[in-house]
This record gives sequence, C-alpha cells and structure tokens, in this order.
Amino acid sequence: MTDSNDPRPDDTPHPGESMPLDESSSPADPSSLADSSPPAESSSLGESSPSADSLRPPISRRDLLRTAGIAGAAALIPDAVDAVTEEAPAIPSPAATGKEQLGSVLPLDAAPLLAGPLTNLTASETEILSAMVDRLIPTDELGAGAIDAGVLQFIDRALSEAESDAAEAYRSGLAALDAYSRYSRGGPFIDLPTIDQDSVLIDVQTGAATGAGAGFVGSSGSFFNMVKSHTWQGMFGDPKYGGNANFAGWDLINYPGVRLSVSAEDQSRLEADQLDPVRRSAYDFNLFE
Amino acid sequence: MKVSVPVALGAALLLTGGAATGLRAQAPTTFIVESRTMTTGRFMPRDYSPDGRNLSPPLSWRDLPAGTRQLAVISQDYGAGRPPPWVHWIIYNIPGTALGLPEGIPFDSDHPMPAEIAGAVQGNNGWGLPAYRGPAPPVGAVHHYHFAVYALDEALDLPPGLDRDELLQAIEGHVIGQGDMVTLYERQPMNELP
Repeated sequence: MTDSNDPRPDDTPHPGESMPLDESSSPADPSSLADSSPPAESSSLGESSPSADSLRPPISRRDLLRTAGIAGAAALIPDAVDAVTEEAPAIPSPAATGKEQLGSVLPLDAAPLLAGPLTNLTASETEILSAMVDRLIPTDELGAGAIDAGVLQFIDRALSEAESDAAEAYRSGLAALDAYSRYSRGGPFIDLPTIDQDSVLIDVQTGAATGAGAGFVGSSGSFFNMVKSHTWQGMFGDPKYGGNANFAGWDLINYPGVRLSVSAEDQSRLEADQLDPVRRSAYDFNLFE
Repeated sequence: MKVSVPVALGAALLLTGGAATGLRAQAPTTFIVESRTMTTGRFMPRDYSPDGRNLSPPLSWRDLPAGTRQLAVISQDYGAGRPPPWVHWIIYNIPGTALGLPEGIPFDSDHPMPAEIAGAVQGNNGWGLPAYRGPAPPVGAVHHYHFAVYALDEALDLPPGLDRDELLQAIEGHVIGQGDMVTLYERQPMNELP
C-alpha cells in the first residue's frame, strides 16, 4: 500500500500492508457482518438475534452457574444437558448441527477419573486443551472444575469412539488456538496469564480470531463451541460416560441427583435446599439395565 | 406552515444525526475527544483489535460543557452490522469528573473499574458481551471506528448491560454535549505477513 494519502502514522503498525484489498478473503470473520454474505455464525450475531445477548465471556463462573443451574434439572440425559446449555452460544455446536451426542453413544462402565496421558492427542495438544477447559470451568471456591471432573479423559475417550471424526478438528483447532495466542498475545496459550487466556478465548468464541489467519478451519467459533459442548457434557453428563468424576459437575450445580420418584416432602426439602443429593449414575438403577 | 423554533431545531438535529440521543431543544455543545495512542482519521494500533491484545483504547476529553455530571461512550462501526452500526463497546455511568478512560478497561465484571471512573459500567456490544472487543473487519477491508462521547446533565444510575438503543433511550433528554473520534482499522493476518 503506497498511497501517499495513507493517513497511518509511521509509528503505527500497518495492518495488511502488503495485502490485496479482497474482501472475499475473509470467509468466516464476524466483522463480515458488513459483508453481503456473512458466515453462518455471523448471521446469528446481528442485533436482531435473540441469542446475541446471551453470548457471554466464556470465563465467568457466575455465568456458568447461571446456565448450568438450568441444565442441572436435565443432567441425567446428556442430550438434554446440551440442548439447554447450547441456548447460550450464538454459534451452532456440533450437537446442534446434527452431530452425534457424546454421551448418548458411549455405553461405558462407570469410570472414575482416569490418570495418565491421553491417547488421541499429543502431550503438547493435551496441555493446550487442558488450559482451555480449565478456563471454561475452573476449579475455585465454588467447587471442582473441568480438569478435576475428568473432562479431558471424557473427551479423549470420545475421540476414540463416537467422536473419532472430531479428532482432526481438535488437532487443528488446538494448533490454531496456540498460533493465535502467540501472534496476538505474544506467547503460547498455556503460558499466558489467565486474564489473557480468557481474552483469547473470547476472541475464539466470537469468531474474531478467525481473521487473524492462525489456521482455524472455518470459524474459530465452531472450534470453541465444539470444545465447550464436550466440556459441558463431560462435566455434567452421567458419570457412566466417563466424565463428571466423583459427581463433581452435579455437586457444582447442586443437582439433586437421579430419582425415580419425588415425594411432596422431597420437593419441600428441595425448595428449602435441604434435600440430600443422590449421587448414583442412572445406570446404577435397575430401570436402566 | 408555521413551525415553532424548538420543533424546527429538533428537526435539524434529526437530520444531523443528533436525534438518536433525543437531544433537548437546546443544541448540545461539542467538545474534544482525544487519545494518547490514536488519532482521528488514522489507523489504530493492533493491540486494540483481536490481532493484538484486544485492549480498550485510552480516551481523553476536554472542554466539557458546564454542568456535565456524567459521561457515556459508544464505540461503533457504521460499516458493519445488520442494521448498522455494529457496536464494539458501550460504557456509561462515567463520573463527570473523569478526564478520560484509561487503556484496558476490564472485560470481566469480576475485576473492578479503575478508581478514576469508579461507578462506570459496561453495556452489551454487538456480540452481547458487556465489554470492549475491538475491530475485526473482513480481511482486506478498511473500516471506520467511531467513538462517541456523550456529556450528561445528570448522574444517572443505569444498570449494566444496556445495549445501544437502551442506552440512547436512557440518556434521552440529558445530553448537553458530544465529542467524537473516528479511527481506522484493517486486519493484519499472520499468514499474510511478509
């Protein structure tokens, strides 16, 4: 760009100095709202979208609990968990686009929190994913977070089975997340202060990271929502499917547990927050055998 | 047709874009809005975009109208959004004594506002986020980013999370001055750098 009328001061970075002015080169940027053919997630980000103002920073524990509390009543059924929590994002998740649900297709034995390396991701990829899900649901004074609940192991198991098609999306997405972090914040994602990790994740969630050219396949928001959806499932789904270790997710949202019947007394105690929760997998009931 | 002076003035304000703020019959004064890191008509640093740290930029103002009790700021892109503008940032309940906004206003409500703007809250931007998120125009496109600062004659106690329309409605009748700054941005993708 050599236009002598270029108003940019010499000491200001010159964005796109050597780039052609081709708007079509930005297929998935949220700011292509100005474009006549915005990407799918952008179309739901417009002011008229009812979902737009429910999109929140991914890191607020209070926001999580607000949403998860609604989901708690449906925590027995992973599909239902996803159906509720996915009201929030403006960008469709794999589940919302018809992709098979993790929890519904993994008839695994009730599994405690697994230790050891993941089988479907490299050590580096695991570190990045770990840092990401730890920001989505951090362990804090309110209770255990995603890592403690075995969400990584839940995802790893899923990538071996029902979600094997998503393995490449994880690999490319995690690489892009880290590349975007290095480019925009000057360091690897795992080394950033949590406040910067949160800022990065917001940009990934909103799709603003897409246009940075970090290698996201499609929209960065699609990658974010895939991981978020799986994190929610691993956190709040039935432990039968490999996550929610020690019922950490149910404890976090004060889910009363799976009950085959609820008496009037139970209901009264529930409303008074005095009902002892049931901490059994639905599959531990004979009804589900 | 005979038109009263206030009505005629109101119509003139409508035509000049002042109507959105529901201005009083008396025209608001204009004042100066500046930034130590940005200049009107020039490109803003990438740290105010998702190509960088995505910090909110510093702003300052001077020559506020007498009687200014509070300020509100809206940052928007009239070249995006359906309908335009696409809102990047809304912050209000800013004390009338504030001389500006420091760089990097917290995007997480768990973090307090800087002392000099204590009481300020953020509204919902185009993404529905109560925070600043910087420009991310389509690659190869130059967009304009308009920072509008409103001086208000009353200290309103507005709740956080208002969107642009809600804020403009809430400050209707209280705007006694306005200052503006317009900057530019074009994305700088890492995969297209030399």
